[in-house]
Amino acid sequence: MNILERVQPIFQDVLDDPSLRVERASSAESVEGWDSLAHINLIASIEKEFGIQFALGELSELKNVGEMIDLMERKLIRK
Amino acid sequence: MNSLRWADLFVGLTADFHVEITSETMDLFRAMSGDWNPLHVDPEFARGAGHPGPVVFGMLTASFYSTLVGVYLPGRFAVLQGLDVDFVRPVFVGDKLLVTGEVSFLSEAVRRVELKASIRDAAGRLVSKARIRAGLHEH
Repeated sequence: MNILERVQPIFQDVLDDPSLRVERASSAESVEGWDSLAHINLIASIEKEFGIQFALGELSELKNVGEMIDLMERKLIRK
Repeated sequence: MNSLRWADLFVGLTADFHVEITSETMDLFRAMSGDWNPLHVDPEFARGAGHPGPVVFGMLTASFYSTLVGVYLPGRFAVLQGLDVDFVRPVFVGDKLLVTGEVSFLSEAVRRVELKASIRDAAGRLVSKARIRAGLHEH
């Protein structure tokens, strides 16, 4: 299963919306409920699910889910 | 009060403190919350439900998880962001409790601290357990 599919249940759980589907172009601006606390919960859940850690400041450069997935792929390769 | 910063934290770091439940604590919680369910305030009703006396409010004991985060681990710079709590065994007035927390997860990118926490009575029996999510702000 690719990363975009694996993050779907995390987004659905954190944002409390079982019908939610995020795409590569999705962002905090376009997804309802993706506020600052939801962001913290999303990142912490993703780190635990994938066994990776984002560095301080690394996420602020990202524009959307697609860029986050690309960053996750690079981290997973280095694992 | 502890004032732990991000660099002070590591997975496995623990903190604990003791607290005693008094009738005054119960009165204050009832007045503050407006919960006057007889299980917590009426000894006869509580005995009828099979308890030796009024059962301490679960949320009163859970409030010590706020103390754990805000005063002990990490303390001054903490902000409580969420918790999942289970009440395992009833607590009664006069019980002396031990509240314990251990850092179970850290996310540097979002300054998230997660604790595995528990409350035990004087006999060492688990009365409550929790997963706590907190942030750490710069100040």
